[in-house]
Amino acid sequence: MQGLLVFTVLLGVAFGNEDFVGHQVLRISAADEAQVQKVKELEDLEHLKLDFWRGPTNPGSPIDVRVPFSSVQAVKVFLESLGIRYKIMIEDVQSLLDEEKEQMLSSKPRTWVRSTDAFNYATYHTLEEIHDFVDLLVSENPQLVSKIQIGNTYEGRPIYVLKFSTGGNNRPAIWIDTGIHSREWVTQASGVWFAKKITEDYGQDPAFTAILDSMDIFLEIVTNPDGFAFTHSKNRLWRKTRSLTAGSSCVGVDPNRNWDAGFGKAGASSNPCSDTYHGKFANSEVEVKSIVDFVQSHGNIKAFISIHSYSQLLLYPYGYKSEDAPDKEELDQLAKSAVTALASLYGTKYQYGSIIKTIYEASGSTVDWTYSQGIKYSYTFELRDTGRYGFLLPASQIIPTAKETWLALLTIMEHTLNHPY
Amino acid sequence: VDPKRGCKVDVVFSTERYNQEEGEQRLGKCSAHVFFKNQKPRPAVNVTCTRLIEKKKREEEDQLLYKRMKQLKVPLDAASIPDSRGHIDASLRPIWDLAFLGASYVMWEKTSQSLHYYLVQLSSVKQWKTNDDAIDFDYTVLLHEFPTQEIIPCRIHLVWYPGKPLKVKYNCQGLQTSEEASGTVEGSAVAPTELSNI
Repeated sequence: MQGLLVFTVLLGVAFGNEDFVGHQVLRISAADEAQVQKVKELEDLEHLKLDFWRGPTNPGSPIDVRVPFSSVQAVKVFLESLGIRYKIMIEDVQSLLDEEKEQMLSSKPRTWVRSTDAFNYATYHTLEEIHDFVDLLVSENPQLVSKIQIGNTYEGRPIYVLKFSTGGNNRPAIWIDTGIHSREWVTQASGVWFAKKITEDYGQDPAFTAILDSMDIFLEIVTNPDGFAFTHSKNRLWRKTRSLTAGSSCVGVDPNRNWDAGFGKAGASSNPCSDTYHGKFANSEVEVKSIVDFVQSHGNIKAFISIHSYSQLLLYPYGYKSEDAPDKEELDQLAKSAVTALASLYGTKYQYGSIIKTIYEASGSTVDWTYSQGIKYSYTFELRDTGRYGFLLPASQIIPTAKETWLALLTIMEHTLNHPY
Repeated sequence: VDPKRGCKVDVVFSTERYNQEEGEQRLGKCSAHVFFKNQKPRPAVNVTCTRLIEKKKREEEDQLLYKRMKQLKVPLDAASIPDSRGHIDASLRPIWDLAFLGASYVMWEKTSQSLHYYLVQLSSVKQWKTNDDAIDFDYTVLLHEFPTQEIIPCRIHLVWYPGKPLKVKYNCQGLQTSEEASGTVEGSAVAPTELSNI
């Protein structure tokens, strides 16, 4: 979409400074063939000067059209009188263009790095820089690492997962995700560090080599790309996705309340303006659905670890109910070993326990769902710190945080390897 | 205590000097009784500490801090402290410290059995005046609220003169509506939760 906008600007410039003040972009949902036909008729009315970004094809496919200010009234009346549903995707094209232009002029030039050894792990990066890193890592380690696209975000960005594998066919696997809540920057930064660490330690560290010789690791570094881009461009403290909610002026759904486990129960909000808004239905968020589809089609994931910040906690199910998970004893013991390993490096203290007892009631959360799918070792981390800097953790703490967390992850991975089920 | 009517929490903690230097000893052990009445915020707090810095020393430190602050030129576009990457410029540290102090009063007032807060950021400075003797500081902070995860902007107006009680007026924005919490707090010069040693 952004590319299209830029293109439009360029076109506008080429045709002599066209301006898009008051132009709106509508997304039309044609319910049946007859409605599609009607929209096609609109296309033929040249005086309306409509610009179809996604033309009418068949019912069910959204039709996106840029409508000049002078035609907005007429088009809306036309659609409404025929009962054709539409929503306003862009209220004012010109202001969006102005914002983008400002952003492009003010944002730092992308830092280009030639190898993952030269990459700066001790600083926070942009989405583009992380994508470049991922591509570099893959090209440097083609036997071990590959990049999979599991879907596209609401705003059309690709969703990438790194696969680390030494062979086999659909081996039992470990899943790690970071950055599902975009403002938790130390998590994406740690994810980048983990990716590099895996390539360094395989073949060097015996314990880790044993893990990767039998199991695969999937790592999703930027689990909420739209949110992450937004934390760089507009609001550093944005948490949710960037999906539009019909009937509300508020944006975004909390991706950690959108899973199909106790969905909509106490522990999430039904208010679209809330930071814990669960969405209209479970898996409404493509960022969540993509993972659900991946996990289900893979079918052999044995440990699922979702990483957040902050509070320094290691949590296991449940968040939506207070009864103990059937594997509570084992999960608790493993959590204890993991946080002990974590603390061994710098003395960082973590608490552990079930989500509901340790942090708060939360419904529709990731690991409650993965656990319900039979993935026994389902854990959520809350990394540093405990509130002093919170989300705004100084970059100097990225590597120490990643290093200590890695020790906890190793503990969980080793246990998973040694306790097949 | 009847859980329907209130909740009592006993806390034991040790204090240290804010911005403690390397090698400095921790101060004393404190114990506090915190009482939340009827789910309402602004718990009653009763604190006793074994050892704090002596009063005279505290007064000296206050005066020093006050002098330093009067000399500060605060750029009024000193927004976002810390910045996105968690960084606070050394020269802006005293502003952050004072902002934090004011925010701690606000957080105490808003904390209840079910809601608690952390300070995220000093998001803007409207005014920093030191022409009459007091330091007059008008600013906005962002608070992170648990368990709702909301980011609450609070406008705070703080007036400080060493030896006199801290005056804090504030106004916090609610979720998308005009639910506001506002109030005035007068720091007491007597209670140990006072403003010296910052």
